[in-house]
Amino acid sequence: MVVLRENMCPGLDGDLVSGLRAVGVKTVEDLVSSNIEDLARRCSVSYKALLAIRRVLLAQHTAFPVSGADLYEELLSSTAILSTGNTSLDKLLDSGLYTGEVTELCGGPASGKSQVCFSVAVNISWRLKQSVVYVDTSGGMTAARLLQMLQVETDNTEEQMEALQRITVFRLFDVYALLHCLYELRGASLQQAAVGGGSVKAVIVDSVSAVLSPLLGGKQSEGMSLMIQVAFALKTMAKDFNIAVLVTNHVTRGRDGEVQPGLGVSWSHIPRTRILLERHEHTSTCSATLIKSSRQPCNIREQLDLNT
Amino acid sequence: MQRPLSTLPLSSAVKAKLVTAGFHFISDLMNLKAPQLSREAGVSQQEAMAVLAELEQGVPPPSMSALQLLQKEAELQSIITFCSSLDGALGGGVPLGKTTEIYGVPGIGKTQLCLQLAVDVQVPQCFGGVGGEVIFMDTEGTFVLQRFAELAAAAVTHCSLLAEDEEQRVAMETFTVDTILSNTYVVRCHDYVELLAELRLLPSILAARPKVRLLVMDGMAAPFRPLLDDLSARTRHLGGVALQLAAVATGHDVAVVVTNQMTTRLLGGGRSRLVPALGELWGHALNIRLHLHWEGSQRLATIAKSPAHANVTVQYQISSDGFRDVDQSHAAGAK
Repeated sequence: MVVLRENMCPGLDGDLVSGLRAVGVKTVEDLVSSNIEDLARRCSVSYKALLAIRRVLLAQHTAFPVSGADLYEELLSSTAILSTGNTSLDKLLDSGLYTGEVTELCGGPASGKSQVCFSVAVNISWRLKQSVVYVDTSGGMTAARLLQMLQVETDNTEEQMEALQRITVFRLFDVYALLHCLYELRGASLQQAAVGGGSVKAVIVDSVSAVLSPLLGGKQSEGMSLMIQVAFALKTMAKDFNIAVLVTNHVTRGRDGEVQPGLGVSWSHIPRTRILLERHEHTSTCSATLIKSSRQPCNIREQLDLNT
Repeated sequence: MQRPLSTLPLSSAVKAKLVTAGFHFISDLMNLKAPQLSREAGVSQQEAMAVLAELEQGVPPPSMSALQLLQKEAELQSIITFCSSLDGALGGGVPLGKTTEIYGVPGIGKTQLCLQLAVDVQVPQCFGGVGGEVIFMDTEGTFVLQRFAELAAAAVTHCSLLAEDEEQRVAMETFTVDTILSNTYVVRCHDYVELLAELRLLPSILAARPKVRLLVMDGMAAPFRPLLDDLSARTRHLGGVALQLAAVATGHDVAVVVTNQMTTRLLGGGRSRLVPALGELWGHALNIRLHLHWEGSQRLATIAKSPAHANVTVQYQISSDGFRDVDQSHAAGAK
């Protein structure tokens, strides 16, 4: 997998790297899987030195087993459940958004996905005093609406401004920009954002399907690969930094007119929890149905009011 | 966690060569020079340079806090529609920096509203307007110049009656039918290829004409009609169009207005209903959806989708002057 470079580990100097390359050993994988005795003879280096290098490289590149008890300890100490501020939604989510997991809201146009995202962002930033990253891929993010929601919660202008300050908005309109953003966030911004009061506890992508769906279908295979890359980046970010990730998705209609979440079967494995939103016509309420969950029975239904 | 090379915007052929040569992550390419990369991965010098250049574009994507966004929204005005009840429902008019879709049955006044907005965007700032220019993309030949000049003349007369102070009188000298016409750039798109090409050119056109504040795309469905036998291709193209329009709206502080027609969805059991054309996915694409419809002999506008406005229905009329409020006495009489 990884290309052999100088000083990757003690004893692996420039001469040795070029010597190995001359006999066709370019990557760590090549070195580890080749016959060391044979390799030592062909490169005329000491068998012991090569064996030591192999041991170090293996240690550097293998995954370590962790006991379930330790994992459980870690889970208890690091997982947070972020209340969405809406009791019906919290009921479906088993008391809120779990950090380390990807949660998905799907629904048709104007079903209230963005409104739920706004209210989750406001609640986490105002009530829980944590930072939120909001990735907007349709240009629909409206700070005036966030302010409106905050005004229902508090009259204190200073608190409102502080809460808005804790929400970082990225407006990205293609998949590469989204990937770049996610990897940049992993790199530096998450720690930086932590300096400005409250660490980033939630990343909201509204909507993930807007950037992915133009890539899918037809004869292009690249789209699928990019979708998996986005999924992988979101999942590992959620896990590694203990972040609750909330994404929105569109819905499609099956042959009999039944509603199903968009982006196909491969994507359906990515979110741990999925909620389907359906707007009641000519009202400001929508019904939310739990369609995938690892903690609760599916198909529980709750009513949400989008006006508050 | 390392970033895989496959997440970079490179051609798949180059990516495949890099992966075969053992380069999987961005960190594998650190400290490499183009000649060395070209030799080791078997790509051409130019390709190697392109790969390395892509890596150097490590600038973090632009972000802002919601507070900064709020300030920006406050600075951005809206384009008034000359129909005060619709302006009220939309919080001041059609907002800059957002994408808006107008849909409705034929003859309801979609194009009239577009023409009206194309005039209104040019109302000088001292009259509470935006004082901008407009790009009008016309896919069905609906841009009728005589009607546009009529609306422009009505708007000029309206403003000249309002002019009170010196500043407004000076502004009126440059707010004439002639200037309105010369600040309107009409692009006639005959099919979707022309439309997609025009969208690709838009960022550079907008950079050259920084005063453009409104992009109208009248008739979104028509150019994509040839693709009706390949609906998945249409959906893909439209998804891309939606992203480009959103990027134009937010990146250049332009109001994007798109019109769409209605189509029939069969519900089974012999029932059917009218829904906006272009499919379900397109419904997500634009920020605000405005539904124009009839109720008896009244024309009504309903905000069907908006991130910031309630779903309100208001009445409007189309007079010889353009898109207007319903005359109060007349409305009372109709009730």
